[in-house]
Amino acid sequence: MKIRTWAYFHGQAFASMRRNSWMTIASIGTVAVTMVVFGAFLLLANNITHMAGNIESKVEISVYLQDEITSEEIDRLAQEFTSLEQIALVKYVSKEEALLRMRDWFGESSDFLAGLEMDNPLRNGFDLRTHRPEQVLEVVPILQTFDGVADVQYGQGIVEQLFAVTGMLRVIALGLMLGLAAAATFIIANTIRITVFARRREISIMKYVGATDWFIRWPFIIEGMTLGLIGSLVASGLVIWFYQAAVRSLAVSLPVLPLVKPWPFLLGVTGWLVLLGTAIGVVGSTISLRRFLRV
Amino acid sequence: MLELYAITKIYGNGVVALRDVNLKVDKGEFVFIVGPSGAGKTTVTRLILAEEKPTKGQIIVNNKVVNNLKPREIPFLRRQIGTVFQDFRLMPNWTVEENVSFAMKVVEAPTRAIRRRVPEVLALVGLSSKAKHLPHQLSGGEQQRVALARAIVNQPYILLADEPTGNLDPDTAWGIMDILQDINAQGTTVLMVTHAKNIVDAMRKRVVALEAGRIVRDEYRGSYGDEN
Ligand SMILES: Nc1ncnc2c1ncn2[C@@H]1O[C@H](COP(=O)(O)OP(=O)(O)OP(=O)(O)O)[C@@H](O)[C@H]1O
Ligand SMILES: [Mg+2]
Repeated sequence: MKIRTWAYFHGQAFASMRRNSWMTIASIGTVAVTMVVFGAFLLLANNITHMAGNIESKVEISVYLQDEITSEEIDRLAQEFTSLEQIALVKYVSKEEALLRMRDWFGESSDFLAGLEMDNPLRNGFDLRTHRPEQVLEVVPILQTFDGVADVQYGQGIVEQLFAVTGMLRVIALGLMLGLAAAATFIIANTIRITVFARRREISIMKYVGATDWFIRWPFIIEGMTLGLIGSLVASGLVIWFYQAAVRSLAVSLPVLPLVKPWPFLLGVTGWLVLLGTAIGVVGSTISLRRFLRV
Repeated sequence: MLELYAITKIYGNGVVALRDVNLKVDKGEFVFIVGPSGAGKTTVTRLILAEEKPTKGQIIVNNKVVNNLKPREIPFLRRQIGTVFQDFRLMPNWTVEENVSFAMKVVEAPTRAIRRRVPEVLALVGLSSKAKHLPHQLSGGEQQRVALARAIVNQPYILLADEPTGNLDPDTAWGIMDILQDINAQGTTVLMVTHAKNIVDAMRKRVVALEAGRIVRDEYRGSYGDEN
């Protein structure tokens, strides 16, 4: 097809959208709603993964030492831990450091930690990290056999639960998404079907003049594609606006919850929305043309 | 040019519309197809346009067998055949000019050629002053002239007209006939289905008469024949 023919197709598609302005708005709205839900799903899934990764990277084994231990013994333990093949990282944490960390966590304002400097109830210890999360269970019993070790704690159960929950969330969100995408495709298919139906006489006239099937189809496909594209652009705008607002307000109220930084994250998310929305438009109009435009 | 060999057409519901029809039309001829309602006249035009396939027989247009064309080849057949119908079949939302230029857009003619050719054919059918009008702003005769302009704008080999004057008063009908004669004089083969006795009798062209799906008469310089 020549460029002037494509220009003509676009002109026809836009003229049709203007003529059926209500259908056009309804279709764009449906795609937008679908894509907002999909966008929300992408935001949530990515942030959960991000958080899980954060927590996973913090799956540390905390080894607490007996109070009366000497610094030579601490050095010796550090060496022995390092020599274990499962252990990737060994970090000594004195009880003073532990207290500082706790203050960080609860924030400056919390004053229930005040006075603890005098009589620090925390213990000296090590933070250990394994090469892989599943090695934690292997290495914990070994650690408990060392002299001078009072207690060994690890948080793997929490991580497993978190992954179980996010897995389920993903399945539910994906199911919801598929349903919505089907609904949006259906609505676009219906819009195009109605235009095709309203113009079936014109289509038959075109055929008498010798128009090829593709010459007749392209304006409808372009119309469906445009509906999908505009709908997903609207959704992208909403998603960008919402996420930036969420990041801004959470940064103040819940600073411990680390969200993925908006950029370039949102670029990827909205890219997917636009791609999927446009695809829905094309698929929707193609379905209608196959079923209702026997040309 | 246009040949029908032993054409039989039986519709899906069992109606036999044409039985063993043989017809040969040379380039540049003017042929009237007449006959009573239900004789199969429109069926002939639909077979030529490959809207329907013959049950038996072979159709050749411009040296090409058309009865077994693949669907995607049909548009290219239709570009060689201009068509005009009793009900005009214009795009209601398009101006006269747009209706005519559409036929050229379909064949992806250069914009410059469209700008040159469309006013030319509008002048030929006497509608230069109505180029920007919509079909509903025109009289029946004017609408039929738009349809004629659209049918000839790509200079087809054959012009098929199925009762082109059926909805028009006698004077207007003669206006259309004058244009058809002009087109024919320029070398286009014209095949016209009609019930207009006065026109057929006055023009003295070749007349093919159908009755119950058979050709019952084929005369040069013929007349409409008996009252139907
Ligand atoms: N699509 C169809 N399906 C079934 N039967 C049809 C179809 N089209 C036409 N027929 C039948 O075929 C026969 C010939 O029809 P056709 O339309 O060719 O007649 P015609 O000569 O053009 O008549 P008229 O002068 O009334 O236009 C008629 O009996 C008609 O009922
Ligand atoms: Mg007829």
